[in-house]
Amino acid sequence: MSAVIEIAGLRKTFHSLRQGRRVAVDGFDMLVEAGQVHGFLGPNGSGKTTTLRALLGLVRPDAGRMRVLGADSPERLPDVAGRVGAIVESPQFFANFTAHRTLRLLAVAGGVPTVRVDEVLEQVGLRDRGHERVKGYSLGMKQRLAVASALLKNPELLILDEPANGLDPAGIREMRDLTRSLAEAGVTVLLSSHILAEIQLICDHVTIVSRGRRVAYGPVEEVLAGFDQHQWRVRVADPEQAGDLLGRAGLSVTAGPDHLVVTGVEDPETISRTLGEQGVWVRELVPLRPDLESVFLELTGDHEHMGVEVPRQVDGAPPSDGVIDLDVRESREVDA
Amino acid sequence: MNLVRAELERLAARRFVQLMVVLLAAAFAVTVVTTLAGSHRPSPAELSRAQAQAAESVREMEMTYDRCLRIREGSLPPAENDYLPRDCAQIDPAQLDELPTAADYLSGVFVFAKEAEPLLYFLIAFLTLFGFLVGASYIGADLNSGGVVNLLLWRPRRSTVLAAKLGTLLGGLVGLSVLASVAYLGAFWLIGQASGLVGRTGGDFWPSLAAIWGRGLVLVLLAAALGFAVATLGRLTSAALGAVAAYVVVWELGARLVFQILQVGRPDRYMLSSYLAAWLSGEVRLWDGNACGPGISGYCDGSYTVTWPSGLVVLLGLTGALVAAAFTVFRRRDLM
Repeated sequence: MSAVIEIAGLRKTFHSLRQGRRVAVDGFDMLVEAGQVHGFLGPNGSGKTTTLRALLGLVRPDAGRMRVLGADSPERLPDVAGRVGAIVESPQFFANFTAHRTLRLLAVAGGVPTVRVDEVLEQVGLRDRGHERVKGYSLGMKQRLAVASALLKNPELLILDEPANGLDPAGIREMRDLTRSLAEAGVTVLLSSHILAEIQLICDHVTIVSRGRRVAYGPVEEVLAGFDQHQWRVRVADPEQAGDLLGRAGLSVTAGPDHLVVTGVEDPETISRTLGEQGVWVRELVPLRPDLESVFLELTGDHEHMGVEVPRQVDGAPPSDGVIDLDVRESREVDA
Repeated sequence: MNLVRAELERLAARRFVQLMVVLLAAAFAVTVVTTLAGSHRPSPAELSRAQAQAAESVREMEMTYDRCLRIREGSLPPAENDYLPRDCAQIDPAQLDELPTAADYLSGVFVFAKEAEPLLYFLIAFLTLFGFLVGASYIGADLNSGGVVNLLLWRPRRSTVLAAKLGTLLGGLVGLSVLASVAYLGAFWLIGQASGLVGRTGGDFWPSLAAIWGRGLVLVLLAAALGFAVATLGRLTSAALGAVAAYVVVWELGARLVFQILQVGRPDRYMLSSYLAAWLSGEVRLWDGNACGPGISGYCDGSYTVTWPSGLVVLLGLTGALVAAAFTVFRRRDLM
């Protein structure tokens, strides 16, 4: 697959009289390949928006190399701008313009046929309210309008910064369906969001950023698998006795209020056999899989406490310069 | 071209622009109505009385001139309170720019030829204010609301986008100024025809009026470019308003006072208002209070002149420098 977005060693520092020097992005790397729905995760202030703005030529980086659809950014960005649809944070529109007029003006400015206006309004579910003034729109409707403006160009690459902002659950679901349908149509999507469950549902790949640095990236399933501690929740009639038996068998056991959590066991048969041989019958044996939220919190929260950042590569792709390729369990030992 | 077309529509649709056009139309309507209400077509009797008064006035001027010549020749003794210029040519009616006409002796009659110049200056003043405010708010609001960012996502060429905005603004202003001037002067010419007098419009009346209009139009465009440039530099509409207020208070008022205390020669040379007046009126004659101080005996002329070419150089230089600075800063600025 060809690379659609390549970022290597991106660095950006902001200077202000009031806040002094602030490093927003510090040697950040990212790779998004054609056809991916790529999630971009990070806590507030971690450098997500700065990265996207730099990629789109709105912020001048101090160092690093960026390419969009094969063109160096920002130097050659105008050559590919017609193939990139983007919304960055919450775009503002003229309150007194209708959605239709807003999109028509953008289409005229960008040399896009104005017939696309009705098509994208339909696509984002604003067809019936397209001739109302934007000032009457809810936050969610404005967000849909923003997405519509990004779709206007019929882009090959769609960059969406927090597209679910302000949307109600139904709107979030529609946005998810829209993203999926675009991906099925071959559009590469880079999606920045703080709604982790949403990313997990929509995205096939993910990059996690913390303090301006990439801390994990790869296919979502592999990132999650990399954090799988092979934990099992075990329910039995007598948890105390079962805990003793499992402990004596050399397994790591933590007691819960009415259950046990066994860690580090790849095959659940080990647990059921150990207990069954002693006449203890298992009532429930459930795998405890990590979700994106727990991975995200561990990566971005623990590191802040520790002051140590360990990049994790969990796919087969070669790491870019300066990224240390560590096994996840090794890094967890470091954490411990 | 597409960009300019879209920008022109965006500019025309702005509430502030529409409000200013309505204000212009309202001021125009009020002036026309009050002029119409206070003017009437002179009766033949009124006209002949005024013509007789004008002729009498010219005859008195000729007699005074003749008397001056005779006194200077020594053929007539001067009376006790006679005012005699050093050179009688100064009161030679044949050398005056304008001799009294019947229009000067008509009461309650609008005479177009007499009023056209002050009316045009009023229009220029309004359009200059309009140009400055619209120029500042057009880019200031767009920078503040994220409109520029939206546009740059479509057209990632900063200089082109800013130039398109400035070009659209100046082009739009030329169009509006031409329309407003034709409508404004045309309406008053019609009032002169229908309910007053047109007056003497021969000779250099129209060329002189056209020259004032041309200089006024340049001033309108310079004011718009200045407002646009300062708002771009300061990122806000209010930056332009603040800069003008600060300049007037600190320099035109404060520094003038300091110059007076320090007895700096020709302080008006350092004031933009002098060059503004020189540009608009062709030249401005200023007086230096320190030129004829103690130690100078005999006749002393402390006056000096600022001509329109120096006015144009200063105004063009200042505006050009600020516009160049705005483009340079905008090209390098981080857009958040």
